[in-house]
Amino acid sequence: MAYSDKVVDHYNNPRNVGALDKSSEEVGTGLVGAPECGDVMRLQIRVNPETQVIEEAKFKTFGCGSAIASSSLATEWVKGKTIAEAMEIKNTDIVKELALPPVKIHCSVLAEDAIRAAIGDWKKKNGVAETEAVAAN
Amino acid sequence: MNHCTSCQKALEGSWLVCTGCGAVQRNAAIDYFQALGQERRFGVNAATLEREFHRLSRRLHPDRFARASAEEQQNSLAATALLNDAWRTLRDPVTRLEYLLKLEGYAVGEEHAGKGKSAERQPPSDLLEEVFELNMQLEELRMSQKMGEAADEAVVKDLAATGVRFESMLQAVDDALAAEGAKWDTGAAEARTGAATQMIQLLDRRRYLRNLVRDVRETLGAAA
Repeated sequence: MAYSDKVVDHYNNPRNVGALDKSSEEVGTGLVGAPECGDVMRLQIRVNPETQVIEEAKFKTFGCGSAIASSSLATEWVKGKTIAEAMEIKNTDIVKELALPPVKIHCSVLAEDAIRAAIGDWKKKNGVAETEAVAAN
Repeated sequence: MNHCTSCQKALEGSWLVCTGCGAVQRNAAIDYFQALGQERRFGVNAATLEREFHRLSRRLHPDRFARASAEEQQNSLAATALLNDAWRTLRDPVTRLEYLLKLEGYAVGEEHAGKGKSAERQPPSDLLEEVFELNMQLEELRMSQKMGEAADEAVVKDLAATGVRFESMLQAVDDALAAEGAKWDTGAAEARTGAATQMIQLLDRRRYLRNLVRDVRETLGAAA
């Protein structure tokens, strides 16, 4: 199976690989995995407490090219967005952007789950209820 | 109940061959349990299964049909191929389990990947942290191998210990699968649904663990 140019690009030059301080109040960490292929993905965001804007995003993924590309793209997309806006990112957007074939769609789902998990972790740390964040939008 | 395509007698034991007239059956719809004359259940007697496989292999062997009609030769070939597939699938407890669940209409493994809700797709959360850490260790070791550096002994030792731990988790999953399989074999309809759900989750966990154990072995093998 051939990967699209965009997947190859993200795979060869992954954006925002790394880690943020997990214990920081401003950092949300999402750790997700796919049982069927053994992929694990960690996505972290640093959120400005005043504006709720995601100022920094890092990821580390162990998995196939599509999983790495999906998470790399996810970090690019969430940066500069508010929490509420980031929640709007759908796996189908990732599929479209990277031209993922059907068998690799679960990689994009994983990336969406990672974003949500990171946001969920940040919300929990900061005592933000789901409804409040939506209202802030 | 199925009947011989040749003499119409009800088939006993393996559906691949008639015990009455001895005709080899041509029926692509025969499942692997029927092919080996087994009840459709998780628990099988390994010795009986193997004996039956060998007996049928000899009985259906194409060499025995060298002078038979072209149709009979074809039937023998098809039946032998089906028998071999059946044996390969049913002899291993895990592939047998996956096969039976599929026969019963459950989506297993890759088939249910990316379909259910995300909570259902998530690997066991108790493992995620460990899996991630393990992958970090593996990467570190592979990196030093690539650079031609001697592997850090502490990392190798950690990794070996992690490998052992994951192997025992794998064993625990196999034990749990056997227990759920027994529930399925003996239980009523509701118990079956519950057991099937459990087994599908256990299979996911198993696949996860097996990949990790393999990665650890490969990396440690290269380090040795």
